[in-house]
Amino acid sequence: MDSESRAHALKSSGGLIQQEKMDLLLGYLLLSGVGLSMSLIIVGLIWRFFRIGHFSLDHQLAGMNLFEFLLTEIRMATSGDVSPRTLIDGGIAVLMLTPYLRVLASMLYFMLGLKNWKYTLFTGIVLAVLTFSLFIR
Amino acid sequence: MVPFYILLPVSILAGFVGAMAGMGGGVILIPALTLLGVDIKHAIAISILSVIATSSGSASAYVRDHITNLKVGMFLEMFTIVGALAGATITMVSSPRPLYIMFGSVLLGSWFALLWTKHLTWHEGEQDRFSRWLELEGSYYDAAAQKTITYKGRRAYLGAPLMFGAGLIAGLLGIGAGAVKVLIHDLVMGLPPKVSTTTSNLIIGVTALAGSSVYLIHGLIDPGLAAPVVVGVVAGAFLGTRVLVRISNQSVRRFFLVILIGLAAEMILRGIRGH
Repeated sequence: MDSESRAHALKSSGGLIQQEKMDLLLGYLLLSGVGLSMSLIIVGLIWRFFRIGHFSLDHQLAGMNLFEFLLTEIRMATSGDVSPRTLIDGGIAVLMLTPYLRVLASMLYFMLGLKNWKYTLFTGIVLAVLTFSLFIR
Repeated sequence: MVPFYILLPVSILAGFVGAMAGMGGGVILIPALTLLGVDIKHAIAISILSVIATSSGSASAYVRDHITNLKVGMFLEMFTIVGALAGATITMVSSPRPLYIMFGSVLLGSWFALLWTKHLTWHEGEQDRFSRWLELEGSYYDAAAQKTITYKGRRAYLGAPLMFGAGLIAGLLGIGAGAVKVLIHDLVMGLPPKVSTTTSNLIIGVTALAGSSVYLIHGLIDPGLAAPVVVGVVAGAFLGTRVLVRISNQSVRRFFLVILIGLAAEMILRGIRGH
């Protein structure tokens, strides 16, 4: 499809240009999240291989929610304790944060961009349930 | 503990075959991991984490192509995430045997769905008042047909509870359950196939996140398993989608039908035998 015909199709009805911008933002947000997560895990694995001679990991994540998991990661990183393990766990945390941030961005879009209160509410409900399951429980 | 050099190629293969069949890696990955000796609950937890990666990766491209319907996605996500939380909680309290049997049954269901969807064609229908209120209409430019397709989503009152069920299956068994979601979009809500597939992809990521949150809190996300599996499945899916465009749909379908029925039988038998 050439870009002109697509642009024409999108501009033919109101509000769609804004939707196009939002689609791009959400698309790049998802792509960056997955890209960053994979990079962190791969770099962590390679670093581990050069440090100890194999890729296998033996540490466990004690049952904690994403908030506690993130706090532990940030604390380790800021105290200068950056190890292959920090990068690998960080990659897992970034992966889990990616769809969460996508929902947050969607809510802001419905609220500030489209001023569509119905969908701000729906997206807010999704965000509230996810926040509860990831950060509060 | 399964060695890294076995986990990585198995995960690449699962992602590759799953992407070629358009069904994600979970349906292949979980039976493969359990065959390697991984406990089924750990396999489910790791699989659902890899589902976040594969669905977010492909959704990023679909969203930028302006085919995904964000309103349909957001409305239905309200139901799928609650379903996924419930499903993952059931898995945590369930013993392994029913999980094997349920997994095998879902594979069998997907097998029939794959046979059945071959004969489906999209047609427009009347939009009900509730779906109109939900603003479930949209349009996209179809490059193959070289025209803009306009559609009106319908029967959201039926789609919503069914999507709760799809979320339940996803959280319970650690799969994207994309086939179920696409069927609901196509058959119940009257969305064109492209919109239904891409919107389902967007929903899968958030649904998988809800399920993962339960498994994380129960300590089932094991980085030693997660790191090679997630990287492997994403790499395999990346390769699979590129091979997909080069081979005919019919050969992919036949190949996947054989694999699916074999895995379904294997999982159900393991559930019945108890080992």
